[in-house]
Amino acid sequence: MPDLRLAAIATHRFGLGPRPDELRIVAADPRGWVKAQLGPQHTLPAPIAALPPAEDDLLAFGRWLARRRLNGANGQRIEDRAERQGVTQEDLQRLSIEEDFVQNFRERVVRAVGARVEAAMTTETPVHERLVHFWGNHFTVSTAKPGAIALPPSFEKDAIRPNVGGRFANMLLASTKHPGMIVYLDNWLSVGPNSQAAQNPSRARRLPGGGRPTGINENLAREVLELHTLGVNGGYTQTDVQALAAIITGWTYERPRLRDLVSDSVADRNGAQLFEFDENAHEPGPKTLLNRTYPQTGVAQGEAALNDLARHPSTARFIATKLTRHYIADAPPSAAVARVERAFRESEGDLRVTMEALVDSSEAWETPFAKFKRPEEYAITLLRLANLRTIPPGAGIAALGAMGQRPYAAPGPDGWADIADAWLTADLVWKRLEFAQAYSARIARADLDPMSLGEACLGPLLSDETRTAVSRAESPAQGLALLCGAPEMQRR
Amino acid sequence: MLNRRHLLAGATGATALSFPVFAFGQAQATDKRLLIIILRGGMDGLAAIAPLGDPAYANARGRLALQRSGQNAALALDSTFALNPKLPKMHALYRAGELLPIHACATAYRERSHFDAQNVLETGASAPFARTEGWLNKALGALPNSRPEMGMALSAQAPLILRGPANVATWSPSTLPNVDDDTMARLLALYEARDPALAHALTSAMSANGVAMDSGAGGMTGAGPRSITPIAQVAARFLKDDHGPIAAVMEMSGWDTHANQGIEQGPLVRALTALDEGLDAFRTEMGPAWSNTVVIIATEFGRTVAPNGANGTDHGTGMAAFVAGGAVRGGRVLADWPGLGHAALYQGRDLRPTTDLRGVFKGVLAGHLRVPNAVLEHDAFPDSGSVRGIQDLLHA
Repeated sequence: MPDLRLAAIATHRFGLGPRPDELRIVAADPRGWVKAQLGPQHTLPAPIAALPPAEDDLLAFGRWLARRRLNGANGQRIEDRAERQGVTQEDLQRLSIEEDFVQNFRERVVRAVGARVEAAMTTETPVHERLVHFWGNHFTVSTAKPGAIALPPSFEKDAIRPNVGGRFANMLLASTKHPGMIVYLDNWLSVGPNSQAAQNPSRARRLPGGGRPTGINENLAREVLELHTLGVNGGYTQTDVQALAAIITGWTYERPRLRDLVSDSVADRNGAQLFEFDENAHEPGPKTLLNRTYPQTGVAQGEAALNDLARHPSTARFIATKLTRHYIADAPPSAAVARVERAFRESEGDLRVTMEALVDSSEAWETPFAKFKRPEEYAITLLRLANLRTIPPGAGIAALGAMGQRPYAAPGPDGWADIADAWLTADLVWKRLEFAQAYSARIARADLDPMSLGEACLGPLLSDETRTAVSRAESPAQGLALLCGAPEMQRR
Repeated sequence: MLNRRHLLAGATGATALSFPVFAFGQAQATDKRLLIIILRGGMDGLAAIAPLGDPAYANARGRLALQRSGQNAALALDSTFALNPKLPKMHALYRAGELLPIHACATAYRERSHFDAQNVLETGASAPFARTEGWLNKALGALPNSRPEMGMALSAQAPLILRGPANVATWSPSTLPNVDDDTMARLLALYEARDPALAHALTSAMSANGVAMDSGAGGMTGAGPRSITPIAQVAARFLKDDHGPIAAVMEMSGWDTHANQGIEQGPLVRALTALDEGLDAFRTEMGPAWSNTVVIIATEFGRTVAPNGANGTDHGTGMAAFVAGGAVRGGRVLADWPGLGHAALYQGRDLRPTTDLRGVFKGVLAGHLRVPNAVLEHDAFPDSGSVRGIQDLLHA
């Protein structure tokens, strides 16, 4: 018996909203449709496959730095001149290295955002694509940090996508070894105090500014514990942060040499291939993390520690809570959390088995509209509603930014918030409705009937109130705007 | 240009039952105003306010130490402290008696997570995630003659400090095209029938847009990176409006300076410059209302005393804060200075906190906004009985 109601729940709660023909197909077996997409996928969506590889991003970054330095002027002299000529610091900012950098990389980022949105609006496996977005947010690498501005897309492509539906430990290792994460959370700057590099500075790699790093940087280690594995209350101390930081000293990436910067040869290596273990920077000796001593030498020490963290009971609890909060409710029902947690623990972090436990929870199919969609998810719902296949370059980035969620630009390493309180605010709701109206005006056509679109998108979940409002609209464009702005389009 | 005030009048008629008192509808009962600027990421307090007179300072700070003299000399406050040279306008405020720098302070939090630390700063609790409401929300909600939306966030989302049972308004500049009034009114009716949370958010947005449009800020699309000047000016326009909020919160990020934070140039220098200029723009825009205004500038924690290997600083404990405004008894530094000698440091690496920031917040809320003591002790800052509000922050 086809079930359009469960199909609507499945496509909105687990997918990205249905395209016009999707609801009828899903209705044959809503749970089966979700479950069939939970395992690994071996091909990349076409728009993602077409993006430049991590090495190209890093070379572009290196070329930009080298060019700046080759053509660089004396900063202090310019500041003096600015003061004499009455140019404010704020105006001078337009000439700053960071601003120039953003200008240089804007096109690259715009292209990547377009690819992400196109992949989401055209995918035949929206449940899988939603999981990519979830895990990309769990392991946040953000363009908000200038030094990492080119890297979030290749990070998502190299570290997240191949491991969705696979083992959590593999995703954790891929993330911690990717140049994107290593730059974003400063691990390339971290040097063990008793390492060769610290004892004999001529062995240390130079920083872009010319100095050499001399100390431990705890940033990545702290976030691995707090945000990626155990969670902030997961039972670790500052001593554990320091231990993990020492364990992963030397985890860096192959930095382009000048010869590479001037060469035309193809830069086609991905982030995993660019990982490098710098023995000279590694703090020697065994280390103790969470009461366990790691005697291994070299990179194996960090790999062993991360594998243990991935299997830790606190990690199971933390991941289960986050998944349940993301898919079911802001205050995740504890019975569902417990089931997902057990599946994660007993399968040793098999993410397909973990998600199957969530999908099998009755709570996942009750109380539709318990969750308020985040802006990106909301925008993608609207794009899929009208069956759009492509978007013009750059379209929508400003709108997503205004709605509070510019893709790849989460404000901090904890990623985008996953509760309605963060998004259901006066100003953000207003910006959503501005977007909904502009979008409706753009797609409105004489043959596009808002009511049929609403039924194709929501089935029996389309409310009587929304039907009435849409039927009384003064124009198809207004009807579309009312449908797009309706509560049931903004929630799942 | 659309007149959203007009739209509002139309909408109010239809919604009078669900929203008996419309946001920004009547003048506030007090002319006192409060602005809070939250610096996210952990401002380096020893760079903002340098203890040049501490004999251990130069050694402890190493490459990041500021100097008393020279081209980039720090701006002297007293025999011990000096402001960062990138804060000249705040230095002028200090000399005018309207800036009170506070040093070696901290919230109740003693670990080093941004998110936990910001949570404690904003909830006023003594532990992270102990509660989900912000202290400013609780304080505003308890004021006599309380009315909807006495607080306002100059951001798309209300920060935690403003979240809670009391309604607050939010506003941020728009980059999207204007909307059709009739469609918005129809959506509002739909929300009222189906979705109270969306109805409330949309109503509040409509009224905030009315004020911003009338003040000429509606078309603002934001200035260059890092600048907080335009948003500070809008904050002033809202606050000085008799019908506007009495307290506003704005946020500024970019303080998490782990690498190459800089003395003469660098990310910290740019952030300090933007703060200096933003505060000055706010003061100018407030006009005569500045004399009834208090600005609190606070961050979640300080940074390590010693520079790290990358010429930056890592997450630390003791921090610096500022209280400014015409109502402030400034021109002096508030600090029970613990010293930077190694034995004096907290856990051997951080500035030891000697002043509880909650005492500063309580002092301002009690002295400026007349928030009752019982509310401060129990609602705004639970378990803070041992922390007394600091008495002499403001002019009598």
